[in-house]
Amino acid sequence: MAGKALARRAGSLSAVLVEAGSMVILTMRTLISAVRPPYPYGGELVEQFYFALKLCWFPLLISTFALNLGAPGLQAAGPLQVFGALDRLGGFFVLTAIRWIGPLVTAVVVSGVAGTAITADLGARKIREELDALQVLGVDPVKNLVVPRFLALMIVTALLDVVAIIFGLSAGIVAELIYHQSLGGFFATLFSNASITDIWGSLLMCTMFGAIIAVVCSYKGMTASGGAAGVGRAVNQAVVISVVGVFAFSYVFTAILLATHPELQTIR
Amino acid sequence: MIGWLDTPRGWLDAFGEIARFGSQVAGQVYSGKALRFFGEGIRQAGILIFGSALIVWAFVFILGLQCGIQGAYFFRAQGAPSYAGLFSAFCDLREAMPYAFGYILSAKVGTGIVAEIGAMRISDEIDALEVIGVPPITFLCATRLLAAWIALPFMYLVGIGVMYGASYLAVVNQVGDVSSGGYTLIFWMFQSPPDLFFSLIKGMAMATVIVVVGCYYGYTASGGPVGVGTATAKSMVFNIVAVHILGMLGTVIFWGANPRLPIGG
Repeated sequence: MAGKALARRAGSLSAVLVEAGSMVILTMRTLISAVRPPYPYGGELVEQFYFALKLCWFPLLISTFALNLGAPGLQAAGPLQVFGALDRLGGFFVLTAIRWIGPLVTAVVVSGVAGTAITADLGARKIREELDALQVLGVDPVKNLVVPRFLALMIVTALLDVVAIIFGLSAGIVAELIYHQSLGGFFATLFSNASITDIWGSLLMCTMFGAIIAVVCSYKGMTASGGAAGVGRAVNQAVVISVVGVFAFSYVFTAILLATHPELQTIR
Repeated sequence: MIGWLDTPRGWLDAFGEIARFGSQVAGQVYSGKALRFFGEGIRQAGILIFGSALIVWAFVFILGLQCGIQGAYFFRAQGAPSYAGLFSAFCDLREAMPYAFGYILSAKVGTGIVAEIGAMRISDEIDALEVIGVPPITFLCATRLLAAWIALPFMYLVGIGVMYGASYLAVVNQVGDVSSGGYTLIFWMFQSPPDLFFSLIKGMAMATVIVVVGCYYGYTASGGPVGVGTATAKSMVFNIVAVHILGMLGTVIFWGANPRLPIGG
């Protein structure tokens, strides 16, 4: 009994490892076929870029505004008002909107909206055996389908991060207005505390998020199987893996960024 | 104009439908009709616990670590590293836990329900249920909502504990500017039982919406296996927006007028 349970657990563990390994292999193949000529994926890249942007802009706008107004805006404004230092909210928003919440919300929205759409799309092609047909025709699915999605999602995630930061900061402005503050102090502490390291850290983190999401979602779409529930289950697993992966990566990245850049830790 | 406004328009469209569907499902749980299938509800609760609890707690653990390091470095910059507990208390209990719960539930449970019920819909199992005289909305959707209301509050409370532990590890053991006693003093000072209760309400409101949205998109899926995939993706979009709006509303309602601080008079 115990031996059987142990064997089952070992089996599921090895399945997880095999899956993780396959994703790494897919990443490597994607990177290699992205740089090795020929480059047939230009049109698809532009199409995917527009597709992701079109799907993501509205959920992202609402999400980032709501999250930044509630969590750092009103929650932090409470203590700051008690201390009579509401102008410091601008400095606090460097931490939240730029360094932390902006990238994370962007990643959640991109994986939940564009990532699921990619998995559903590729999964549908896999179920209809279009991917096999492409291979028979001599068209490499990695080069023609995965690479454009990979590149498009990296660019889109980084660009949407800028949108998330702008709307996050505007939520901070609204929070200041709710507390009847003038905005001069907000902008003064915001611009004196924001450093160029914060911005590139945020954008670099988002680019990596886009890469993680694209690889996980493409992999899950291309390996969808199992009848009627197959594509749905693929989408389910893809979004779970990409969200957890993104958050874990973001923890490591933030810890390294903060520990190696002491200039981020001085208050101005 | 190729559909830049399609997302908001489709979303508004879906909102009305989901509100109608959700009130139907919630009414069936509330009026006790779902209790006819109490066994199925318990089974679904078991699936929820065994299938999702570990991933929920793992996710919450990661976010707790993030709350910890962000707070520790922020208060080091302010020159008051011993107050890192203030940031983690607010971040963990009031904001990050509901959002983390909402994200991972919509990813794991919400889309899972769509895939499951959607597969039943396109293989005509739901019609079969109706034919043999079992009301499908009660049997499939109301039992799942009942299961969520049974199991998820406990999962949420354990998740808060996991998150507290993660923040403690990050602040005290990883960054290490503040001693264990100094951290816990501030940490427990800046929270109270009503905060826990409000946080639980926030999380459960999100969970209810996520289960209802999942059931709706699964129940109305069409167009073969591909249609199930599309419905799953759509449910995720709706859930993300709903989680954020509920989170903001919760903050405004519970802590907007009164930040509930142990400072001053």
